[in-house]
Amino acid sequence: MKALRQLAWVTIAATMAFGTAHAKDQFVIDLVNEPATLDPHVQWNPDSYYVYRNIFDNIVTRDNAGAIAPQIATSWKRLSDTQIEFTIRGDVKFHDGQPLNAEDVAYSIRRITDPAFGSPQLGQFNKIVKAEATGPNTVTLTTDGVYPALLAQLVKLSVVPKHVVEKVGRDAFNLHPVGSGPYKFETWQRGVQVTLSRNDAYWGDKGPFKTAVFRAVPDAATRVADLETGTSDLVVTLNSDLAAEIKRSGRAQVLSVLTERVAYFGMNSFKAPLNDVRIRRAMAYAIDKEGIVEGILSGYPKVVGELASPAHFGWADGIEPYPYDLTKAKALVAEVGTVAKTPMEFATSPVYDQRVIQAIQQMLNDAGLNVQIKMTDMATYLKGQQSSVPESANTLSYGRWSCACQDADGIMFPLLHSSSNWSRVRDARLDQLLAAARSEPDEVKRKALYAEAHKIVKDEVSVLPLYQEAVIYGGAKQLKWAPTSNESLFLNRMGWNE
Amino acid sequence: MGRFFLRRFGQAAIAIFGVTTLVFFIQRLTGDPTLLLVPETATKADIEAMRHTLGLDRPMIVQYATFLWDLLRFDLGRSFIQNVAVTTIIAARLPYTLALAGGALFVAFVIGVPVGVLLAMRRGKASSGGLMGVVLAAQSMPTFWSGILLIMVFAVWLGWLPPSGPGGFSHLIMPSVALGLLSMATFARITRTSILDELSKDYVRSARARGVSTRRLVLRHLVRNASIPVVSIAALEISHLLAGAVIVETVFAWPGLGLLTIQSIVSRDFLVVQAIVLLGAFVTIGLNFLADILYSVIDPRIRLDGGPS
Repeated sequence: MKALRQLAWVTIAATMAFGTAHAKDQFVIDLVNEPATLDPHVQWNPDSYYVYRNIFDNIVTRDNAGAIAPQIATSWKRLSDTQIEFTIRGDVKFHDGQPLNAEDVAYSIRRITDPAFGSPQLGQFNKIVKAEATGPNTVTLTTDGVYPALLAQLVKLSVVPKHVVEKVGRDAFNLHPVGSGPYKFETWQRGVQVTLSRNDAYWGDKGPFKTAVFRAVPDAATRVADLETGTSDLVVTLNSDLAAEIKRSGRAQVLSVLTERVAYFGMNSFKAPLNDVRIRRAMAYAIDKEGIVEGILSGYPKVVGELASPAHFGWADGIEPYPYDLTKAKALVAEVGTVAKTPMEFATSPVYDQRVIQAIQQMLNDAGLNVQIKMTDMATYLKGQQSSVPESANTLSYGRWSCACQDADGIMFPLLHSSSNWSRVRDARLDQLLAAARSEPDEVKRKALYAEAHKIVKDEVSVLPLYQEAVIYGGAKQLKWAPTSNESLFLNRMGWNE
Repeated sequence: MGRFFLRRFGQAAIAIFGVTTLVFFIQRLTGDPTLLLVPETATKADIEAMRHTLGLDRPMIVQYATFLWDLLRFDLGRSFIQNVAVTTIIAARLPYTLALAGGALFVAFVIGVPVGVLLAMRRGKASSGGLMGVVLAAQSMPTFWSGILLIMVFAVWLGWLPPSGPGGFSHLIMPSVALGLLSMATFARITRTSILDELSKDYVRSARARGVSTRRLVLRHLVRNASIPVVSIAALEISHLLAGAVIVETVFAWPGLGLLTIQSIVSRDFLVVQAIVLLGAFVTIGLNFLADILYSVIDPRIRLDGGPS
């Protein structure tokens, strides 16, 4: 008996010693919420795609520098203005061992673009009118008109196995997704965590960790505590204060990158006094963008003068932001007279950093305007943001926009074109420029069109771009990872230093 | 007993119907989940299509009739957001809520009642004053603060307990303490008042005159006689604990119903909210019923029928 007990102790000690000497086996990530769904064609929120983008491969991807790179498609060529042919990798297998073929790719596109399927992501792919497998490893896509942003959108189109989806149906597939990506789905402990395991047969770069666990930890301070105690290895969605706390503790590292998300201040030019361009210009001078970025956000974001970021196609150099000039702002307000005192509601929701909202309100009132904050929940705020009748939309608002496509079309068209229900702008010149840019196949000409549009937006202050948002993660000290602008979290692009 | 039960059952049914109807309409007055579901680039047509898929474009009265009909068949529907049956979602969360409520109740009861007795027995003494201060502090500390403080001390500095999430027994300790402290103070105060009430009664004086030891007096007579208010408070506290310790669950990443409620309200996941409210109504009504029965067990003078039995 005594010998047996000794043996047990030796075994435990050996396992522990072995465990610590071994490479990182289990990698734990703290998300804010659990993923809503793991079927990549259904839900569209970060907590879902952080997870499922590791289970599925996309048609194309972006490399760490942000350039579009092959993934399931090895190459592509334009057959005509509206048709493009993709060549599909021949060596990709789904996690159930079945090969991935051109029909799976075509099926995936047809599935997500079928209005009856009701994908929330339909709006990103609705320019695709036809997808068919034209050979064992070729797929041809047809778009509704010339559509230069197609590849940028396809970065987000995950390939699902036709045979599995058709066999098990939508609900079962969501509960037990089968993909071809670097990680396989293992378990989903609802409300708690999702566990993935490494796909050792992956065709590309394999993941460094045997298993990955995505936990739901809603409180940011708790996520930081998890990181500092080693309970988690990577935590998402931190603010600059918590980043400072991590640095101070010295127990973990802060990982940050400028994203393609642009913070902007929206003004409804259909309502007085905003229908007067002088008031909009006064606001542009009154809001101290540098002050907000440096003073409140610890310098992580970067001030921009156009409604795009250097991470977008369509960014134009040399469009300077309005400088902070309170005297000029006050002079413009005085010039307009009593109308300038019309009360304006500044719509917001708790999702946004209220320190920024309050600072903006204060700066505008300092310039002699009359701004009140109207706080509602997100759904109500969004309802006020989207309206086909701009007169009934929010008067003032703050937003942070990302199309996850890194193309100016994805941010400028919805916010500025008169056909979009997000837009509170009716400008024939902008309409014409944005429509032309949307279907201009020549990259140089397309860029020039956007540069032209940026100038009009600045001159008219159609919306006021504030800054390019930064995303802040906390990581274990051993973690080697360069976060990218598109806010993706690819496990197989990470590394671990023992 | 039978008549009492029937009457109570009728009241409960009306209450539950009222609660569900209210929740159904209030939620739908507050906004539309479609806009939260679609990406920023969605067009008007995409949004309309999505609304149709969710069935939100039908007249309100038709939606309500469908809801009631499904409810009668015990079909709580599917979550818009998570694309699974509402019952699956709730069933996954319920065990965690029960565990946390149980843990918190344990902390509250096992500490609160003895503290209350002690406070009553030592009334007017310095030690009682100090203890009362501790009780008040426990009740006044907001849980978002005490929770983070516990994590800082016991997980980050001392490394004794895991900081967040569910798991083994050790994961349950901090959330239970954070949540239980609030109810502990309530239990202590109610017990104290109730014992003080009893102390001034004639039977206590007679018992003392007969030479019954204080220990025996407290354990055999006072605690039992003073426990009626404690039981009613317990019923109330349990329904509070079950209805969701939203803040504690958020701070400790504890996947209970409270957290689910908030997430579902924010994302306008109507069917999940409805189901949770329904569950809450059932639990509250059921516990009150149970408390009524317990009264009669503790104090045989209380008879549920109202007449002699």
